[in-house]
Amino acid sequence: MKKAIISFIVSALVLAGLALWATKGRFSGNAGEILMGAIVLVVVGFAVFLGVSRLRSGLRREPCEDEMSRKVMTKASSLAYYISIYLWLFVMYISDKTSLEAHSLVGTGILGMAVTFVLCWLGVKAFGTKIG
Amino acid sequence: MDNRIRELRARLGISQLELAQIVGVRRETIVFLEKGKYNPSLRLAHDVAKHFGLPIEEVFIFN
Repeated sequence: MKKAIISFIVSALVLAGLALWATKGRFSGNAGEILMGAIVLVVVGFAVFLGVSRLRSGLRREPCEDEMSRKVMTKASSLAYYISIYLWLFVMYISDKTSLEAHSLVGTGILGMAVTFVLCWLGVKAFGTKIG
Repeated sequence: MDNRIRELRARLGISQLELAQIVGVRRETIVFLEKGKYNPSLRLAHDVAKHFGLPIEEVFIFN
């Protein structure tokens, strides 16, 4: 239950940060920024989904986490870490080819890692913990 | 590894949620077990088999 509440608080903070960036920051509304905002929303949506799922388990008097949910998390994390190494190599390659600023590249890499984790989690959920 | 959880559960007439609550896991874990998408820990396999009153090797079939 505590973890569910923490994920809601973190999601709310990220959404507040996104709203501040969109209204008071240097948001110009170009396609790249809209795409980045959409990716952040997907990642926040995933965190909210996990929080809701834990809350529902709590209401059904089941444990919020059990051995399988921990194994899914561990498996998804290890897969995401492995893929992220290649993602960062790709980001380094892109940094040589484009004139993007360092903070944009780091932001893109971190968002890429978050999306990779979400995709790995969905993959492990869909195909079971025996994959990978 | 295959298992007979669905069959044994139907024989006892208990739902996935009830079995999950008895062995202390989430209902989703029972769903994954029945679909063969998850291999349980020895502890969980023991608890499930104990609930059905059978030895582990009669509930979980090693291929």
